[in-house]
Amino acid sequence: MSAEFADWLRGRNDDELRALVTARPELVTPVPAHLPGLAARATTPSATGRALDRLDRFTLAILETLVLLPSPVSMGELRALAARALAEPGKTGFQGTLSKTVDRLRTLALAYGPDNALAPAPGVREALDAPAGFGPPATEVFRHYPPERLGELIDDIVGGDGDDGGSGSKEGLAELLSEPSLVARLVAEVSPQARAALDELAWGPATGRVPNARREVRVDTARSPIEELLARGLLGATGAETVALPREVAVHLRGGRVHRDLCPSPPELRGTERDQSLADRTAAGQAFTFVRTVEELCERWSLDAPGVLRAGGLAVRDLKRVAQLLELPEWSAALVMEVAHAAGLVVANGNVDGEWLPTPAYDGWRIKATEDRWAVLAESWLTMDRVPGLVGERDDRDRLLNVLTPELRRAAAPEVRGTTLGVLAAGARGLAPDVASVRERLAWEQPRRRGPYRDQLLAFTLREAEQLGMTGLGTLSAHGRALAAGDFTLAAKVLAPLLPEPVDHVLLQADLTAVAPGPLTSELRRWLALSADVESTGGATVYRFGEGSVRRALDAGQSADELLVMLARHSTTPVPQPLHYLVTDVARRHGRIKVGTASAYVRCDDPALLDQVMADKRAIPLRMRRLAPTVIASRSSRAALIDGLRSMGYSPVAESLDGDVIVTQLDARRTEVPPLARPAVLVSGLDREVVTAAVRALRAGDAAHQARRSPIDAPGGQVPRSPATATITALQDAIRQGARVWIGYLDSQGHATSRILEPARMEGGYLTAYDETRAAVHRFALHRITGVSDVN
Amino acid sequence: MTDGPLIVQSDKTLLLEVDHAAADECRKAIAPFAELERAPEHVHTYRITPLALWNARAAGHDAEQVVDALIGHSRYPVPHALLVDIAETMARYGRLRLEKDPVNGLVLTSTDRAVLEEVLRSKKIQPLLGERLGADSVAVHASERGTLKQALLKLGWPAEDLAGYVDGEHHAIELDQDGWTLRPYQREAADSFWYGGSGVVVLPCGAGKTIVGAAAMAHAQATTLILVTNTVSAHQWKQELIKRTSLTEDEIGEYTGAKKEIRPVTIATYQVMTTRRQGVYRHLELFDARDWGLVIYDEVHLLPAPIFRMTADLQARRRVGLTATLVREDGREGDVFSLIGPKRYDSPWKEMENQGWIAPADCVEVRVTLTDDERLTYAMAESEERYRFCATTPSKTRVTEALVKRHLGDQVLVIGQYIDQLDELAEHLNAPVIKGETRVRERERLYQAFRDKEIQVLVVSKVANFSIDLPEASVAIQVSGTFGSRQEEAQRLGRVLRPKTGGGGARFYSVVSRDTVDQDFAAHRQRFLAEQGYAYQIIDADDVLAGE
Repeated sequence: MSAEFADWLRGRNDDELRALVTARPELVTPVPAHLPGLAARATTPSATGRALDRLDRFTLAILETLVLLPSPVSMGELRALAARALAEPGKTGFQGTLSKTVDRLRTLALAYGPDNALAPAPGVREALDAPAGFGPPATEVFRHYPPERLGELIDDIVGGDGDDGGSGSKEGLAELLSEPSLVARLVAEVSPQARAALDELAWGPATGRVPNARREVRVDTARSPIEELLARGLLGATGAETVALPREVAVHLRGGRVHRDLCPSPPELRGTERDQSLADRTAAGQAFTFVRTVEELCERWSLDAPGVLRAGGLAVRDLKRVAQLLELPEWSAALVMEVAHAAGLVVANGNVDGEWLPTPAYDGWRIKATEDRWAVLAESWLTMDRVPGLVGERDDRDRLLNVLTPELRRAAAPEVRGTTLGVLAAGARGLAPDVASVRERLAWEQPRRRGPYRDQLLAFTLREAEQLGMTGLGTLSAHGRALAAGDFTLAAKVLAPLLPEPVDHVLLQADLTAVAPGPLTSELRRWLALSADVESTGGATVYRFGEGSVRRALDAGQSADELLVMLARHSTTPVPQPLHYLVTDVARRHGRIKVGTASAYVRCDDPALLDQVMADKRAIPLRMRRLAPTVIASRSSRAALIDGLRSMGYSPVAESLDGDVIVTQLDARRTEVPPLARPAVLVSGLDREVVTAAVRALRAGDAAHQARRSPIDAPGGQVPRSPATATITALQDAIRQGARVWIGYLDSQGHATSRILEPARMEGGYLTAYDETRAAVHRFALHRITGVSDVN
Repeated sequence: MTDGPLIVQSDKTLLLEVDHAAADECRKAIAPFAELERAPEHVHTYRITPLALWNARAAGHDAEQVVDALIGHSRYPVPHALLVDIAETMARYGRLRLEKDPVNGLVLTSTDRAVLEEVLRSKKIQPLLGERLGADSVAVHASERGTLKQALLKLGWPAEDLAGYVDGEHHAIELDQDGWTLRPYQREAADSFWYGGSGVVVLPCGAGKTIVGAAAMAHAQATTLILVTNTVSAHQWKQELIKRTSLTEDEIGEYTGAKKEIRPVTIATYQVMTTRRQGVYRHLELFDARDWGLVIYDEVHLLPAPIFRMTADLQARRRVGLTATLVREDGREGDVFSLIGPKRYDSPWKEMENQGWIAPADCVEVRVTLTDDERLTYAMAESEERYRFCATTPSKTRVTEALVKRHLGDQVLVIGQYIDQLDELAEHLNAPVIKGETRVRERERLYQAFRDKEIQVLVVSKVANFSIDLPEASVAIQVSGTFGSRQEEAQRLGRVLRPKTGGGGARFYSVVSRDTVDQDFAAHRQRFLAEQGYAYQIIDADDVLAGE
């Protein structure tokens, strides 16, 4: 069987193989040595399971139908059985749909063989535990029944004439149960309660639990509904407490159909119609808000960084503080932090008492245009494997899940986000689908990947997409659509015109506020942030001037006149009198008391003596400054000052005094820890070059495997030498062209060897290639390849 | 991107650019659901609060309208989270309803069983409710109608009160529009109150709130209880009602410290209502003395806490609150909403001024530089004494004298907080002083003399903060105040806002000591008026003294 499958696989052309490894990238990581290797890997339970997980409901149903039929199956048989379950049997075009679906199954190597002899790939039958909800066949269900018991059953079924039939076989029983008229008679005999129990099991799951399932009952002695069924072989005991409905009986109960209803096309999304341009605008507004919120978070953490918990993550208290700061509910604040973290804008620095701090990448991000900043965040969200929605829930061990902890990782998260956006993008423009219909659609597209856990991820995804401004009013926005297609540049380009344009003026008002009616140009924004306090943010920013803020501007070296000129230049209206007054009034008092740092001082009641000291050239290195007629301050230390003065011929004495002023300054801090490497996620699959290379390697390996080529001798003579970069370029060329090369290689013992290779792919410092001199596929460390040259 | 006049901020404030062509239209669209918070010259700030949204719901607006108004007028895209929040908040109003059931009396019903279950679990709510009548309704003790509404609002599930009102004892009241007519906004205010049921009318000082009260009485055609701040105010209400309505003197009773008359229209002071003897409110029976059809609360923002408790028991009667500002220094705006009712009418001060209903006013802050001696004393003063010291410095007296001299010939009020300061000023200015201990008769004599222009300068303490009618005061000089009270500042400005016969403007001086806490308090006091569009000009006291 397996060899047959491998042969079929070998018969596929390169395009078909490429399609296979593109759709199932896990088959070529790492690349198997040859096609039988590929076949073996493709039929392992885990690989088969993953492939099945990717099937939509219709394709899966066709495969299930195929599995239920005895192999090999002709297209006609398959169609006849599948068509019975069609929701609209009269509908034309089913044949075409079916053959396309079968082709897809072949492409995925889940089914193989020509149209007249189809078969499920090895391993598929085992992986599909209960295909279409059917129980095991009768031979399986009654496997453990002793022959005498089987004999009794058969007697009862055929309408026992009291003749002691002796022993019976399970095959015989199975044959009887495959007889539709007989089963029909048996089903008609039982009580309505027993009939209800059968109907319950008919569409699966086909097993149930009853106490003492192995009891021996005959038709005459059956008292309960279950006993009626057990006595007639309509149910069989598969364990001490489990019973199963034999597949043959279920087929009858289902009226010969395999599936209840079969729909070749996915269910339509339902929901509310929205004005698409309105949805775009709303989403853009939210996108703008989200970007601003992330910036606000990073700015705050620059100055006031929260600590890292010992177990990683952020304390609940800090989460609450952030939520309060950002005026967001906690789940939304958690999203902001997680996205900022995934985008590499904030990380925990590596210290023992670590802190969450913005990274240098944040500084780069901050100066980008809003739409580009959004695209960075959106991409990070889409590909991050953490689920912020879980924050606040408890894990299996009843520990609270905190923000930014590793426990938030869920491998399925990026995939659910990707597929959900894909589903939204598949809907009509302007449609705001309701959650139930999105869930239905996902259930159709990935029937094997369902469950409460996935539904929860879906709910999170929809909620978060709205928060990030990918959807607006529940409708996928134009930029969200571009994003769903994986084009982040286009998404940013589509978003840009919807965002507020920067303005270079403010409206000054007599209540000492300044309103910037849009995002400000960066120069003006920095200036205003210095000389006024932000009161509210959003589409516009409201600043308030106060004594404190004006003083701050003066401290930063601005003069009152400069402030007023700046105000006048950027205001469309005259500067209001109270504001003018405020600035001049604060400036009037500003700097009347001056504070400086000095290490030591010289005090003397005689100004003339100090004049003398100051005039002395030897005093210059002492860095002295006359503060008052009787006081000199110095930046030298007291000891140095005393030494200096002594050497100049004076005899000073030290004066003890404490109370140095310590100036603390708030510094925006950055950590040097590089952002965490984001795990590589196969959302878009392998790129084309890798696929081509993998297929080529497979072919090469397989050819070798087929031919059982004997090793050829390595060419003698000088082992080629070439510089490392040239080596890599030459190998890359060889991979692309499928050419053979001659290399020099230091083996693990350090001996220089010479090989003829067919390079297949190169990654992580290793070259995978078929080694003709050894007749096997090997991995070669690139740094041990001493040189490369063409083989003629 | 559209070019709308509105910018929506993420903290739920709305910025309206007033010079924009579509500003008026936008203002009308957002006024029902957003509170005007600040109205300076270029950009007005509105705030969307849960109370404002519930006010809008009570007035029959739905979330769709609110969202449309925001999106339609907004210059920039409106963040989606905000729209969702608005819709959710609005949906909370009316999930619970207070209704009158013919069999069970007052019942609380719900269209959302989960909400009802949630509030029933609350410890604060349980004692207010009677037995469960069905899955969606529960009986309410008739006496707990107000308390229940208060408690539900605190839980964030404001109840819609559909239980209606008693008509009260009928009493014919007509407006007597002889020689005057109801102004359009007064009619609008009275109408919107009446059709809304109960609620608060917000109008600036001098805009004729008494007349709105009279118009409300004419709607009610029933016996009326009027609660005012003090005795002088009670007299003025009485005189105004006699002048403006068909009511005669015999029909109006005063229920004050001095008189205890109960008549079809009775005017009582907050003070007498909250007087306690041995822990018992002795005048509570006034509320039950007649079958009142209407209760009017003057100056709602000053309503003392005990009155709130009494009002909780008056929920079956129609209530109207009159005020110049909903700002309460104690933050009990929510109680006003649940017990008196939602805001029914509001009009920005500056707009009234532009229409000529109130006098235009110039506000001037005069900064007094303290002398070196004064500065030293100030620096050494105990912190609790500091304000008193800097608010009453002799330098201020000199400046005040100079200001009075500058306005020779105008009617000038000098308002202050500290009695000894006022006495000293009165002496310097040679003017009479009205303070707490001045008898009512003497007060009224002085007011009359001031009205008749027999005296031109009057020094008053905070007793004159409220409801005294001084039609021709055109200059007010504030020398000290109750720390940073915003509503006091608004009230005091209101003293000079009544339209002048000559049509001239009013002037409001606030004398402030530079570089002291006085200046900080002054800045806080001015917030409300600055937000209402009154720009304070700041001048130096030296300029005043130099006679410029």
